Amino acid sequence: MKALRYLAASVAVLIALAPVYWLITISLKREVDQFAYPPQWIGFHATFAHYAEAFGGGSFAIYFLNSVALAAMSTLAALLIGVPAAYGLARFEWPRRWDQRVGDWILSTRMLPPIVTIVPLFLMLRGVGLINSLAGLAIVYTGFNLPFVVWMMRGFFEEVPREMEEAAMLDGESRSGALVRIVLPLVKPGLAATAVFCLVFAWNEFLFALILTQTQAAMTLPVGIASRVTQYEIQWGAMSAAGVVAMLPVLVFASAAQKYLVRGLSLGAVKG
Amino acid sequence: MKTRRIPAGFVPEGLPWVAPSVTVLLALSIYPLIFAVKLALTGAGGAPTFANFTRLAHDRVFGAAAAQTILFTLGALAFEFGVGLALALLIDSLARARSIFRAAILVPMLLPPVVAAVCWRLIYNPQFGVLNGTLRRIGIHTSLTWTNGESSALASVIGVDIWEWTPFIFLLLSAGLQAIPQEPLEAARIDGASAWQTFRDVTLPLLKPAMVLAVLLRAMDLVRIFDQIFILTQGGPGTATETVSLYIYRTAFRFSNFGYAAAMSFVLLIATMLFSRGVMKAMRAR
Repeated sequence: MKALRYLAASVAVLIALAPVYWLITISLKREVDQFAYPPQWIGFHATFAHYAEAFGGGSFAIYFLNSVALAAMSTLAALLIGVPAAYGLARFEWPRRWDQRVGDWILSTRMLPPIVTIVPLFLMLRGVGLINSLAGLAIVYTGFNLPFVVWMMRGFFEEVPREMEEAAMLDGESRSGALVRIVLPLVKPGLAATAVFCLVFAWNEFLFALILTQTQAAMTLPVGIASRVTQYEIQWGAMSAAGVVAMLPVLVFASAAQKYLVRGLSLGAVKG
Repeated sequence: MKTRRIPAGFVPEGLPWVAPSVTVLLALSIYPLIFAVKLALTGAGGAPTFANFTRLAHDRVFGAAAAQTILFTLGALAFEFGVGLALALLIDSLARARSIFRAAILVPMLLPPVVAAVCWRLIYNPQFGVLNGTLRRIGIHTSLTWTNGESSALASVIGVDIWEWTPFIFLLLSAGLQAIPQEPLEAARIDGASAWQTFRDVTLPLLKPAMVLAVLLRAMDLVRIFDQIFILTQGGPGTATETVSLYIYRTAFRFSNFGYAAAMSFVLLIATMLFSRGVMKAMRAR
């Protein structure tokens, strides 16, 4: 009975990982082996040619850098704007439960389906010439990550006893000084986890990027991969290599923030 | 709570802290929403009209897309919940290596959705895909064309969603199980309750809040499904896997009919709001 449980759990793990493993093998196989029959799960001739093809001077290098820049910019902006709001909602006296109402409203904006706002956002950004630019997409991602930052950080701030800052402020520290020097160091793990989720969201996001970046120069990694899939002739090797590169940072970051996965994911951090 | 009167000219101390966030969200969420209402209610000549909404009622493609979205949502949700719950209970019952199993099972959910869909393009391909190849190898000769077949496409796409998002239900329910206190479980055991009775009368009621939140969050995500279908089938073959999100996308960005797309998106918004109210309640209860 006990062995049976482990067997069942192992089967679940196998099903979860086999498709990912297959993607990795395709990215490493020579073209002749990629779709050989019988399928070669192990013992194939490995090559890094597809990685070189996709990223060495290939356009995937541009998409990769775009994705990195975009994730960094939008995360930083969301934290700079959102952390003070989270602190404000967690710490100050609000009349008529405004803190709760504003908090709920902020969270509800996160639940808007992207497809509802994408048409107006596309027209608005086109109007100001921010289509096909990283700046335009960074603004949209900031707006998307902001409710998440406020909601997550508010929870972390509420866990810090008020006496900590009050003592510092009695010693002559200003409110913002106390936040930066006393409170933020105490919530550092939570802040890091929040940042990780914002990075992952921006890195994984597809729909906004698909519509707002149509040119080679502005495309992100997911859009670049997708544009290869929908072409008539698919270069499976290069595409798989790009897919592997796209998933690695996410897996690394997510395992770093594992403790906070439940808290973050119940707010839909990975997928918009 | 507080019923103190607010003095005239009173400005809450926290206002300047919150104002930038509220401003950004007004500009990026609320203004686009109002913009969308205006788009949907404006005719070709700029005159106000309800035409976009009346057209919606007679649009067969929209009807089919809505029906497929509902089918997709219910089908995927039923499987993801059943399998997710079973997996959470299974892993929770293991004596060792729990965290390794847990981490491995979570992988599909963490992948960029585009990458997950690409994996399944490689697997499903009827000519050289590994699925048919492996089936043939073990003696099952199938002519199933998975995402390429008119009748099998929707089920195949649902299959990918089950693979990708069962881990999400699993994660939330695992956390719910871990949060259940030991005392009532032990009390039930001392009273001589069977494993099934303990599960039904102790575990299940205590797990219910986590279940409700998991299902609502998943449902909210499923009704707006886009990425995976876009990569796997683009809504095809024909319109076999067209969902509301995909139809909105095509209407707006292939046919440049922004007004009609905006009108359709409100149907999706209302569907989402049905779930999001529940989500907010469930989250505040935690």
